[in-house]
Amino acid sequence: MQKVGIVGYNQVKLYSDANYGRYEMIFEAVRGALDSAGLKKKDISTVISATNDYYDGRTISNALTVEPGGGYLADESKVEMDGAYAVLYGLMRILSGNHKLAVVWGGSMASSFPYHSARLYETDPTWERPVAYVNDISAAGFQMRAYMEKFGVNPEDIAKIAVKNRKNAAKNPLALAEAQNLNLTVKEVLESEIYADPIKELMVAQPCDGVAALLLAPEKQALKIIDNPVWITGVGYNQETYYLGDRDLFKSKSMELAGKMAFNAAGIKDPKNEIDVAELFEGYAHEELIFTEALGFVEKGQGASLNSEINGDLPINPSGGALGGNPPCATGLIRIIEAVKQLKGEANDYQVSGAKKAVASGQIGMCAQNNIVYVLEGGN
Amino acid sequence: MGRQVCIASAGFSEHASKRSDVSMPELVSEAIEDCLKRVPSVDIKDIDAYVNGNMPAFEGSNIPELWMTDWMGARNKPLMRVTTGGTTGGSVAISGYYSVAAGLPGVDTVLAIAFEQQSQGDTSVGLASVAYGEISVMNSLGIPYDQLTLLFSAGAAIGISSYQATNYMRKSKITEEDLARVVVQNRHNAAKTWWAHLKMPNLTIEEVLDTPYISYPLRYGMVCPASDGACAMLFTTEEKAKDMCDIPVYVNGVGSIATETALIGFSGSGSGQLDLSEQLGAQKTSELAFKQAGISFPRKEIDYAEVYSPFPNQELMWVEQLGLFEENTAPNMYETGVTALNGELPVNCSGGVNSTNAIGASAMERPAVAALQIMGEASNQVPKTVHTALGHGWGGYVNLVTMMVMADEPTRKLR
Repeated sequence: MQKVGIVGYNQVKLYSDANYGRYEMIFEAVRGALDSAGLKKKDISTVISATNDYYDGRTISNALTVEPGGGYLADESKVEMDGAYAVLYGLMRILSGNHKLAVVWGGSMASSFPYHSARLYETDPTWERPVAYVNDISAAGFQMRAYMEKFGVNPEDIAKIAVKNRKNAAKNPLALAEAQNLNLTVKEVLESEIYADPIKELMVAQPCDGVAALLLAPEKQALKIIDNPVWITGVGYNQETYYLGDRDLFKSKSMELAGKMAFNAAGIKDPKNEIDVAELFEGYAHEELIFTEALGFVEKGQGASLNSEINGDLPINPSGGALGGNPPCATGLIRIIEAVKQLKGEANDYQVSGAKKAVASGQIGMCAQNNIVYVLEGGN
Repeated sequence: MGRQVCIASAGFSEHASKRSDVSMPELVSEAIEDCLKRVPSVDIKDIDAYVNGNMPAFEGSNIPELWMTDWMGARNKPLMRVTTGGTTGGSVAISGYYSVAAGLPGVDTVLAIAFEQQSQGDTSVGLASVAYGEISVMNSLGIPYDQLTLLFSAGAAIGISSYQATNYMRKSKITEEDLARVVVQNRHNAAKTWWAHLKMPNLTIEEVLDTPYISYPLRYGMVCPASDGACAMLFTTEEKAKDMCDIPVYVNGVGSIATETALIGFSGSGSGQLDLSEQLGAQKTSELAFKQAGISFPRKEIDYAEVYSPFPNQELMWVEQLGLFEENTAPNMYETGVTALNGELPVNCSGGVNSTNAIGASAMERPAVAALQIMGEASNQVPKTVHTALGHGWGGYVNLVTMMVMADEPTRKLR
């Protein structure tokens, strides 16, 4: 596929209770992204947002966010998924040749709604919702149990991921304060409150308030706007079947297929050696291991053996990942932004040295039913 | 960059006020089946990617595509969900177009699906926040929830549309009879469309005017129904479309330009400076789509139009705002039969949204019918040959518009 340039980005600081309005956050994110590229409102030709009416608590929420998101008199639309899918739609609009500058933003205020209760409305309304024992947390519990049983992985190995990501988050000034912890230990994670056996509180990505925005432009325009755009060279997305009983939860079929599609588009033959850093949307600590394996970075069941620290063999989620703060509809978009920071050398305290190619992912659904993967490259 | 995109097929489920004989996924697969029936060489396995959407609040199901995966044949396929309120169907169709136009490796044939099964939930509850505008702002102004209902004579879409209607009536100096005439034309057309909801082949203007007011000047007989139904469209590349069907319909222009939310105002009555019957979004959207399609004289070049009009005044408004007729001349066009089935510029020969409104699907049914009219396969086919047609959608808080311009030959310039 033809490459598309990322010419600007911005993310607001994540708060568990932002105590300021939705519109201010959207405006701050989009305005900041435009400022970072030295562009103005009149330069916008299309705007794609990512919000969810259930998370926002009102019908057609996107109709009220047109103005702060820069959508007034712009060719505007909304993706009701994670922000990473809004980037996909923005990318399609750029690749079609119809548009020269796409603003993509996504986010919500988890402080204003009960996130896990709202997600109950994503379950099958006939068989599952009335009994309410299958929800996003209990499903993730099945997933973690299936993964541990299949490959003989210990809870400690999974707790280590939570420790790594929360320590990384401490170096990321935009991460959620509650998630930042430099002194966290595996023991503390395993002794935290139980959510759905075997998942413990500190293994869960805490929903919070936040908005992020990204600017996309075709190759020619991107080089005119800034000197060093980061390029999207591959994208893949995929949805597997819904019912947990029909899926092998110890792996992620949709991530495998999405990764294949993205690596194929980017011409990457050997992801293990070609990718320098990965930012993955892990709703729960164990998902990071499953995704790492699904993307072919390690063999199945070997995720825990990979050194994924900031200075490790393949750094994963140096920004802290979704465990460092999970603003619904923004988390995947923030993963892309963090990958962009790594490739531009703007990640400061959590910079991976010499990062040239990165992978970023987003997801929706129980046990990450639908996944999207991007391959990003720095330099011209 | 980009490539030509064609519509190879479109299909519908049967629409009714209660499709309790089917579940939501079954309703959707009905439309998919009808869509693929027209293209025998295409199997569900040949679909490379999916886009879909509905209005999630109406059925009480968030992101229903997740558990509907297998009923759409979408297992292990790329899928994207686009929802924008009333324009959802139009937005899904446009995203289907972009999915093909982008030329992502392995994504050539895309199935776009929009649906709504309103009998599953309560549409009025879903629309409550639309009726009240920005509730959080109202609360901050000191108006508590329990008093919100006192502020408006009528809620939801009709509360806004009655203001639109009176504004339009004042400008164009029309009577209720002119509104009723539009309804009669639509319901007669619906009677000849197999999938339509309100089929009234013998309806008269007097009968419409004999029904009670819901909100002046809109009467019970003029208002769209609440339907259950689904629509599917098949988008693919030029080369593949030529193999799939006899007359591939080229998508030459698309647009969805949003305007300000404040148009409604916090009281649902407009902000005072703006006229609700004047739609800047529609004007700008049609400008953009016509420009992409290389259409300079829409009045002469468009052969068929499907516009989104739950209420009759809107149909009159839209055909003017989209540049098909001069301002305030639309009522006369309906009186003289220009917009009738055998007229010079037929409008809404499917019966339009006024006769069938499965909200999430409605804005997709417009371009779908327009495409079938070009193929010569519409249920209520116009006698003349249709070369160029448009499908329009409207929604949001009066501020979102979608439009798709299509023809039997490519006119979009690739840049």
